[in-house]
Amino acid sequence: MSFDLPLMLLSFPRLLEGLSTTLRLLAFSLVFGLAIALATSCARNTRWLSWPAEAYVYFFRGTPLLVQLFMIYFGLPQAEFIRTGPLWPLLREPFWCMCLALSLNNGAYVAEIIRGGMLGVGTGLKEASWALGLSRFHQLRFVTVPIVLRLCLPAYGNEVVSLLKATALASTVTLLDVTGIARSIVAETFAPYEIFISAAVIYLVLTFFVQTLVTHLEARLDRHAQR
Amino acid sequence: MFEELWRWSGAFMQGSLVILLVFIVSLVLTVVWGLIGASAKLSGNRAVRAAANAYTVIFRGTPEFLVLLLLYFGSAVTLTALAKLVWPQTRFVDLSPFWAGSLAISLIVGAAATETFRGAFLGVDQGQIEAGRALGLRRSHVFFLVRLPQMWRLALPSFGNHMNSLVKDTALISVIGLQEIMFTADMAASTNSMPFAMYFTVALIYLAFTTIITATMRRLERRANRFTAAAR
Repeated sequence: MSFDLPLMLLSFPRLLEGLSTTLRLLAFSLVFGLAIALATSCARNTRWLSWPAEAYVYFFRGTPLLVQLFMIYFGLPQAEFIRTGPLWPLLREPFWCMCLALSLNNGAYVAEIIRGGMLGVGTGLKEASWALGLSRFHQLRFVTVPIVLRLCLPAYGNEVVSLLKATALASTVTLLDVTGIARSIVAETFAPYEIFISAAVIYLVLTFFVQTLVTHLEARLDRHAQR
Repeated sequence: MFEELWRWSGAFMQGSLVILLVFIVSLVLTVVWGLIGASAKLSGNRAVRAAANAYTVIFRGTPEFLVLLLLYFGSAVTLTALAKLVWPQTRFVDLSPFWAGSLAISLIVGAAATETFRGAFLGVDQGQIEAGRALGLRRSHVFFLVRLPQMWRLALPSFGNHMNSLVKDTALISVIGLQEIMFTADMAASTNSMPFAMYFTVALIYLAFTTIITATMRRLERRANRFTAAAR
């Protein structure tokens, strides 16, 4: 057995072709996931919507992403109303099924992070802003959100990395992301080490980017903090 | 629909058993990798520390699925090459999906566990270790009798999360051909054309697993902290 370095270099450009799919999945799911998480957080504080929100978070945090993906991609077309419904042109596409699965999964985890952050805002601060006569909106805008943002950022950064890693499952629904292309090259050459390690390097670089970005953001949010 | 579920219930039970088995094997391996990695991270040797840190960075920065594929197909190439050295007429040898999968998910979650264990080891009072040494305990005795029992309590909360990740990662192993509940659902869905019901069943089984783990860990935590609760 030998390590074929030229093959590794040759496969790199092809693997990078999958990068656009990986990054598009990541970007769409980040936006939708955050929206879902915010909606869930709001719903949790209401009387009638709190239990569906809890159930959603419980279900999507307690089951594997692959199962959720298969439920959406293979499972939803079982229902007649999905196939005749207005969303069918989207749900027919593996890309949007993957996006939906990733967003729902990410949303549940981020909702839990937001909840943790909310608990970190001291009661004294709320009382102080109430005593100062801040309206509910102003309290949210100037007291709660800045603190929650700072508290959630490290955990949210980890969640972005998890999401990035989760996009690798796209190849199970025929998408050609970085992992999907790696799998097809391995099927042609049967050189798993060279190809999969090249793909891993791409993911490692992306992870590094995300982490550097989060560290910078943290430093920026901390710029007024006293040491 | 319920008739169909009843028909496949035996296969689902068997699949759940396979998941339980993978979980137990990989849990043991995770603890082993976690303890070795944490000890390495706390070691005085710079090269050992660097190796342990590299392990964490690499396995936490690459997708679980990719690690699984690399280990499964990679081990097949390596084992086949090794076997050909001994018996030249060998065609193909590989690690079974069960072992390749257990190894892969334990290495992934183990990388996270090293950090948990490292923090927990640091949480044990330094005076305890000095007292152990002063009593004339050997280094290995200090590790197993003084540090390990006290660090568990601190590691429990995060370790519960690691166990949940481990269970959820077992679903990936179906992709390389392990015959667990995802595999059962694939089979069932292809014959009865009720994919949603079948995959939803799989989801419920996983939900049961994670719920049991979370509840057990909560009880264990309460038990581990039963003497310290008053102090807080």
